[in-house]
Amino acid sequence: MEKNIYIVKSTEIYDAIVVGSGISGGWAAKELTEKGLKTLMVERGRPVEHRKDYIGEGLTAWQMPFRGQVEKSVVDEQHYVQKKCYAFNDATKHFFGNDKDYPYSTPKDKPFDWIRGNQLGGKSLLWHRQSYRWAEHDFNANALDGHGVDWPIRTKDIEKWYDHVETHAGISGSTENLEILPDSKFLPPFEMNAVEKEMKVRIEKKWKTRKLIMGRTAHLSVPAPHHTAQGRVQCQTRNECQKGCSFGAYFSTQSSTLPAALATNNLTIATNSIVHSVIYDPKSNRATGVRVIDAETMETREYFAKVIFLCASTIGTTQIMLNSKSEAFPTGIANSSGALGHYLMDHLYGAGASGRVEGFTDEYYSGRRPTGLVMPRFTNYSEMNPNFLRGYQLTGAASREPWNGFSERDGFGADYKNNIRSAGSWIFSLGGSGEMLPRYENQISLHPTLKDKWGMPQLHIECDLSENDWKMFEDIADTCANILETIGVKDVKKKIEAKSGWHPGLAIHEMGTARMGKDPKTSVLNGWNQAHDVPNLFVTDGSCMASSASQNPSLTYMALTARAADYAVQQLKLGKI
Amino acid sequence: MTLPVLPHGDAGVSRRNAIKQLALACGLVLSANSLSALAATFGQPTDLSRSKKTLLKADQLALLRELGEIIIPTTDTPGAIAAGVHDFLDHYLVYCASPTEQQGFIAGLKRIDDSAQKQFKKPFLSATKQQQITLLTNMEKASDGFTADDRKFFKQLKALVTFGYYTSEIGATKELAYLAIPGGYKGNFKFKQVGRAWALPY
Repeated sequence: MEKNIYIVKSTEIYDAIVVGSGISGGWAAKELTEKGLKTLMVERGRPVEHRKDYIGEGLTAWQMPFRGQVEKSVVDEQHYVQKKCYAFNDATKHFFGNDKDYPYSTPKDKPFDWIRGNQLGGKSLLWHRQSYRWAEHDFNANALDGHGVDWPIRTKDIEKWYDHVETHAGISGSTENLEILPDSKFLPPFEMNAVEKEMKVRIEKKWKTRKLIMGRTAHLSVPAPHHTAQGRVQCQTRNECQKGCSFGAYFSTQSSTLPAALATNNLTIATNSIVHSVIYDPKSNRATGVRVIDAETMETREYFAKVIFLCASTIGTTQIMLNSKSEAFPTGIANSSGALGHYLMDHLYGAGASGRVEGFTDEYYSGRRPTGLVMPRFTNYSEMNPNFLRGYQLTGAASREPWNGFSERDGFGADYKNNIRSAGSWIFSLGGSGEMLPRYENQISLHPTLKDKWGMPQLHIECDLSENDWKMFEDIADTCANILETIGVKDVKKKIEAKSGWHPGLAIHEMGTARMGKDPKTSVLNGWNQAHDVPNLFVTDGSCMASSASQNPSLTYMALTARAADYAVQQLKLGKI
Repeated sequence: MTLPVLPHGDAGVSRRNAIKQLALACGLVLSANSLSALAATFGQPTDLSRSKKTLLKADQLALLRELGEIIIPTTDTPGAIAAGVHDFLDHYLVYCASPTEQQGFIAGLKRIDDSAQKQFKKPFLSATKQQQITLLTNMEKASDGFTADDRKFFKQLKALVTFGYYTSEIGATKELAYLAIPGGYKGNFKFKQVGRAWALPY
């Protein structure tokens, strides 16, 4: 990293601009630079250097003034939405967005929790690393029931790109040959503990259509030589990933794609650069660059390139596109279809069940495994349910109840203390990730009057749950409870958090609003993530998704990005864009 | 690989040095010992400037101190007093509890003391150990004149003391088993191999 890769102003016309540096932005930068393109990565937030800037890493609870909690004054003022994320705490708060500076509105009756990370690396520093391929069944979903538009691609188009990104990133998992959850190029899976192994036996004995397998996660369970060559070390199972990992043991921009991009000497980075809009030239029908507001000085500047990749996160990218108005595109760049902003989705989370597993008191585990288990989708695939459309996958785990579960029970004193030391009962839980239907009325738009700290029009997010969603929540909870009760788990309690404070957005899998499709009249992007209307504009983050499936989406964003970058470079070389 | 012996003082410099060593070490197989040592190097001293204020008056703090020790006493390891649970909560409640929660906490402490006065004709701290335990047991069960609200308060108190104890250095490293850098997940592992619960559950 000898040459100064960070710039502020530049008159250079880059081969490519990548807006955003998260999961998809990092991949776009890596692929484009490796294919020889001089690439400028534009990030709205501050730089975060691998290892050096992981200021929360390794902090013990007692080293923090509130043992990991954040003082109310800070939370209430700056992180009143971000606090809802399970990973938000005193050692990670600096990687979460600032709700005060970058607010948004929703209708009162349609709350939406938008979790974001506005720094170099974006949410790739914060994500849960769960990584699953889509099945043909998932790509077929819209065509099958008519909700949303047909995907312009199928698994044959993306398979080798999954191979490509998985190999570089490092995905740990077990080979299972399941059509509904295709295998990745895997590093060895993490181990199940004794109770999980027993639960698996009981479940699979009872139901031929249900499998309980190890979760698939972007962690180096055992690094391959090329990971080691990148300076990445085997996962130490601290499970404190969101604080930053100096071992580079999980996939992030910092650990994986950025070093690869930097090694090409083709990458330049502009940080604290908030993209206001894409610059569009109507004569050539091309995007020519981006307008930027400096996050610190409020100065404006422009960057230019031959190809633009928008990877600013689902909602961030669509905000930019909506704000890129011109005579040709009065409602936002590349929006001749009118689909831009619409068909917002998230996954249905927070429904499930848990209970106690008796016995196994001799059994325990060592280490904090960074993944749970997964039960691939069976609903409306191998077990049909006429009550609702689409389906869900389940995740769960077995663990012994820790100290903070004990205070609910009666008792205190020496016995209480000794019981905690003896470790609690085994608890087994299962919860769902449900597919949300794409609906036009779930949409984001620019607020007509309100602006954020930088003078950008604020976003207005409207997203609510449909009848299908509620039926799916009920089925997830009932099914999980039924599984647990059937296999002998005791004191089974089921829950549907959407009834008590879970809002869309909180699965943190927000997708859609610039969807792919075959028809320029009903979609924003074609099968190459290329804007139908503007051939040198590509969008490869979650905004491109035409449906949501039930799998964690980031792996699919990586594969779509690598594929689109390959296509864009080819088209550039052919003089087509 | 030799690990840096870090001076006390500038935590930022220490951390940078530790990270440099780690960067050099990457690619090597790290032994459990060197990993544990690395864990120590990541730390920084607690930023006490963020928690200067306290909530409780001296007599309230003294009562909380004793309540903490009753809930989590000294056994073969130190209890709540040694772990500084009362002092921690005295700061923590200022910053992480709402005004309503703070007043509710203070009112709950008073309820305990008033109950002792009523039952034993003396403040809680002057009652015998057995009297104190009986009173709190009844409070937790909402029996003998204690209400459901009283039970709720005791549950909150117990949860706070438990939190303050098991996130303290004593609670996490002496009473429970603390493994900063586990070196991998072992699913085939017996409880007796560690003999006590992990301080960091997941």
